[in-house]
Amino acid sequence: MIRVEGLRKAFQTPAGRVQAVDGVSFAAADGQITGLLGPNGAGKTTTLRMLYTLMSPDSGRVLVDGLDAASEPTCVRASLGVLPDARGIYKRLTARENIAYFGALQGLDDRVIAERTARLVAALEMHDFIDRRAEGFSQGQRTKTAIARALVHAPRNVLLDEPTNGLDVMTTRSLRNFLLEQRAAGRCVLLSSHIMQEVARLCDRIVVIAHGHVVADGTPDELRESTGCANLEDAFVKAIGSDEGLFA
Amino acid sequence: MRALWIVLRKELLDAFRDRRMLLVAFVVIPLAIPLVLAGTNALSARKQTRQLEGPLQLPVIGAERAPNLVAWLQSHNVKVLPAPRDADAAVRTQERDVVLRIDEEYGVDWRSGRPASVEVIFDSSRPLASGATVARLGGLLDGYSSTVGTLRLVARGIHPAVANPLQVGTRDVATPEARFDLSQQILPYLLLLLAFIGGMQLAIDATAGERERQSLEPLLATPVARESIISAKILATAVFSLLSIAVTLIAYRLVFAVAPARGMDASFDLGPGGLVQLFLIILPIVLLGATVLTALAAFARSYREAQGYLPLLMFLPMIPSLVLMVAPVRTQLWMLAVPFLSQNQMIVRVLRSERISALDWAVSLGASFAVVAVVWWIAARLYHREQLATSS
Repeated sequence: MIRVEGLRKAFQTPAGRVQAVDGVSFAAADGQITGLLGPNGAGKTTTLRMLYTLMSPDSGRVLVDGLDAASEPTCVRASLGVLPDARGIYKRLTARENIAYFGALQGLDDRVIAERTARLVAALEMHDFIDRRAEGFSQGQRTKTAIARALVHAPRNVLLDEPTNGLDVMTTRSLRNFLLEQRAAGRCVLLSSHIMQEVARLCDRIVVIAHGHVVADGTPDELRESTGCANLEDAFVKAIGSDEGLFA
Repeated sequence: MRALWIVLRKELLDAFRDRRMLLVAFVVIPLAIPLVLAGTNALSARKQTRQLEGPLQLPVIGAERAPNLVAWLQSHNVKVLPAPRDADAAVRTQERDVVLRIDEEYGVDWRSGRPASVEVIFDSSRPLASGATVARLGGLLDGYSSTVGTLRLVARGIHPAVANPLQVGTRDVATPEARFDLSQQILPYLLLLLAFIGGMQLAIDATAGERERQSLEPLLATPVARESIISAKILATAVFSLLSIAVTLIAYRLVFAVAPARGMDASFDLGPGGLVQLFLIILPIVLLGATVLTALAAFARSYREAQGYLPLLMFLPMIPSLVLMVAPVRTQLWMLAVPFLSQNQMIVRVLRSERISALDWAVSLGASFAVVAVVWWIAARLYHREQLATSS
């Protein structure tokens, strides 16, 4: 369960002050997949970075399973599985070693790591490359390794920043099935995307972000209803105010 | 602590799978340093031998004016050569180390018993190249002068001792280990340089490289404290450079054992005790280097920027050696509190087999570790910056 209340964050850039996130509030419930949808530069990655305490908000707060991210960052990070925008893996380690490293950092012992790895390898279809060194992995193999590494400690909350970026159809499909399994297991899944079709297809609840604001929040049906558009695509365009960047 | 150990183990595993890093740390450096030292040492020993024992090549201007002197010189292993057209130019361009000019009035002065003039032409700005040769010629001329002077006194019935009110003797108290040689000049600097920036590749790779390869952000999203992560990366760098230094020292000993050329490096005949002392002395510098490099890698926006600071760091261990070369002073306690200066003095003492007191150890190690702690604190602050994971 993730709650975000009035999150704001500005950056100082050479061109001046940029208000990347400007009062974002939403909730992501357990047993649901929640999608953060918005064009590139809308503030999705910055919002997620404040969730996993890589950045601290200028104001507002983040609650993960009732814990405040500002006062208990370590506990919050332990209850999250994070696939950040940056998903580099260690090239000189095998996929299995990459996963085991993060399992150990999460405080798991070797037996639990081996058990969880076996389950993730099956769920993400990683058999053919699990014991290969990551040098020369395809984008899909890298992403799968990064996801397995993020979830090896079986976190109750799963954050994924643009998880399907650069993946082919088959990999996207297996990833989608994997996320549905996570939902079925009662986890709170929060993912960001700029691809409308993907969010519409996968998510129980959609939070639309543009220019650092939440411009719409609800189930796909609620969104259609509130914007008065029968077509979901038209509903998004209406919510954001333009179709800029939405159709990748 | 557990997390620190996990990160440390992973960084070392990662480093030991990097073939190029291994090649540099455990093959190139351990071979290059002893070979360069052995090479220069052998070269200088050969030159010294040639200058002191080989025939002295001496162009003489006006050799016909002093046939006895020339004959005497020739009987003392001097090869007299025809005079160059321009003696000053020949010396200045290093074509000749030294030229002897015999005055036009030499014969007249000699016969009338006045001091006869000879002139030694040399270049004092090149003491290393020609100093030994010039001193050797000076010694020969003095010898000739006093021999003839003694004969003249005897011929006049005066005891030669009258003209020598002083008899100057010398006694060299230097131990064989303290014999001034190349290794005492170069070895402390090389050791300190290696200790300080020997781990540069690992340190920069583990922070700036990790960020550039986009794996730092996932790492920071784990519950592990950033202090543990940075400490582990610093320790991994330190362990790696210590191993590299150990291999280098072993290689150094092997090279000098296989090629014990004349006049070479008796001073590095250290027993295991000496080696342990050297290790202890450079330990704080290894940690300081690892910490500074890691702080730098956290501060720099990219791998390339971090590498750009390296020439600056290479200069740091050089400063005390340069100061001591220009103004050699006796060791005082405060010097042992200054990193690099302290280690330089301590290494020289170990090489000279001098005793190091407990107070000296305490000041040297204590002060250097205190500096390490301060830099560690700065590095940890840098690791807490938001830009750390996201700026590239």
